[in-house]
Amino acid sequence: MPESAPHGSADGDLAPVLARLEDVSKNFGSRRVLKGISFELRKGEILGFLGPNGAGKTTAMRILTGYFPPSQGRVWIGEQDLFREPQKLKRRIGYLPESVTLYGEMRVCEFVEFAAQVKGLAGIKKRREVEEKLTRCGLWDVKHRLIGRLSKGFRQRIGIAQALIGDPEILVLDEPSNGLDPKQIMEIRGLIRELAQDRTLILSSHILPEVSALCDRVLIINKGSVIASGTADELESGLRERHELVITLGPPADKAGVFRLLENVPGLERISIETAREGLVTVVVGIEKGRDVRAELSRLFVTQNLPLLEMRSGRLSLEEIFMKLVLEENEDASQREDA
Amino acid sequence: MRNTFAVAAKEMRSFFYSGAGVLVFFFFYVMAGIFFSLSVLSYARLSMESLKEGYQAVEGLGLTRFVFSGLFLNLGAVLLFLAPVMTMRSLAEERKLQTLELLYTYPLSDFDIVFGKFLGLVWIFELLFLPTAGYLWILHSLGGVFDWGPILTAYLGFWLLGGAFLSLGLFISSLTENQVVSAVVTFAVLLILWMLEWISDAVGGSAAGFIRALSPFAHYRDFTLGILDLSHAAYFVLFHFFFLFLTMRSVETRHWKS
Ligand SMILES: Nc1ncnc2c1ncn2[C@@H]1O[C@H](COP(=O)(O)OP(=O)(O)O)[C@@H](O)[C@H]1O
Ligand SMILES: [Mg+2]
Repeated sequence: MPESAPHGSADGDLAPVLARLEDVSKNFGSRRVLKGISFELRKGEILGFLGPNGAGKTTAMRILTGYFPPSQGRVWIGEQDLFREPQKLKRRIGYLPESVTLYGEMRVCEFVEFAAQVKGLAGIKKRREVEEKLTRCGLWDVKHRLIGRLSKGFRQRIGIAQALIGDPEILVLDEPSNGLDPKQIMEIRGLIRELAQDRTLILSSHILPEVSALCDRVLIINKGSVIASGTADELESGLRERHELVITLGPPADKAGVFRLLENVPGLERISIETAREGLVTVVVGIEKGRDVRAELSRLFVTQNLPLLEMRSGRLSLEEIFMKLVLEENEDASQREDA
Repeated sequence: MRNTFAVAAKEMRSFFYSGAGVLVFFFFYVMAGIFFSLSVLSYARLSMESLKEGYQAVEGLGLTRFVFSGLFLNLGAVLLFLAPVMTMRSLAEERKLQTLELLYTYPLSDFDIVFGKFLGLVWIFELLFLPTAGYLWILHSLGGVFDWGPILTAYLGFWLLGGAFLSLGLFISSLTENQVVSAVVTFAVLLILWMLEWISDAVGGSAAGFIRALSPFAHYRDFTLGILDLSHAAYFVLFHFFFLFLTMRSVETRHWKS
């Protein structure tokens, strides 16, 4: 039984490490899909994998769940190497694969029972476990229905129920709310939050709100590498120094003119300009690390006779950080390729 | 072992839940019924004629040999059509539904999965053909006298032949996620195996013996005639091993390709 671990207390330093990926790489033929990723999963936490489609989240999860071994690197479950004793150690992990369709012609309870059997349960223990997990996932009323007749939301619950069977220490959920409608997403998130109270969880998503709504800690994965990790706060403050400026100018400012003006200012990245209502022009510019261009800019606008109505530092939301990291990474990569 | 049985039981259940299950049973019993009735009728006609002409029923034209050898040979050919339908979903459909991914992450070894699936198919097959024992009962209650030896070897041979076809079909099902492809390819391969005897006759010479030795039907025929030859049994055991081994290999390829 998973003890209820202190959630997010004191950085979780005291919680034991349940799983560890150590410099894990995966190649398919000559394609390198994971490029040496490492992380630890501590008891009681909810760890989020965040990355665009094709980043390697599913591949990493498949390695962690013993679906296939890594090409290099090792996976530790507790103190043991997962691929040395896969059958024993897989019991400690419950897995909800991405977009799993499940057996449409089976009844809900039959399938969950099957999961219990292959996880080694039998007799009264099996019956109790199946009943408990069906109830827990809100499936009790549909337990005799055919899986194929149920909505995607219910099927995702069935997927979670089978993962929960046998009370594994670690729950791995690959894009748990993918393909669900907003109401179903709320319900699944509620269920995940409930489960997280006495369990350790990894979940992946390519959309940020999902991860920031649920996770204690986030790994941002892009093109097979972990490009950032930390709590949502840590990620935000880490990027604070390369914040952006939001500038509002009044008439007679016009988009093209302002763009030409700013183009020539050194130290500005990514200039985006929009015309807002009543002839106001809004400019969002990224600023290179360690530069302060505010004084310079305000002088510039004054000399050009443009009324500066507002200038503030834009605080990046986690979403923006995510996008920025991914974009920067991609730019770096293309520069490396050019070189 | 319990895990293996769980996989086998699930395999059996999905088969009966699918339309294919009903189809296979229906087709098998229509064909078996036709073959059985026809051979009983012609047996009756032949023995009437020999009685009229004052002969004893010819030795070796006994009920067992006449009715059951023929029936089992024909049922062997029926398996050409049924085995592909029985195995087509097995691994292909699981791959398509992505449930295979689940199976691989359960505390099951690849062997548990492959052998469990195979065992489930064999159970289905046994459920399919064991009721044919009812024919014996019908003839027995009509006063027929049997030679039990050949009947037992015929059942044994049929069981081995069916298992062999199922192992082959399982392997082919592991190569694709498309049931139809799986069924068609399996049928094609079985058809080639079926033709090996003719091919060997056509080729002649020293290659003929070799080609013939590869034909499952050549090995099966003796079983239906009541001949229990160890080399025939060994052939079928090897056949099973070969394709189950290939299936294990095929299932392992997920480690390095899609
Ligand atoms: N079995 C496979 N064979 C070849 N390439 C694969 C295989 N599985 C995944 N990939 C590739 O690896 C990359 C990462 O995929 P995946 O882990 O599914 O990403 P994510 O889950 O983050 O969307 C993708 O470019 C995908 O095409
Ligand atoms: Mg994915």
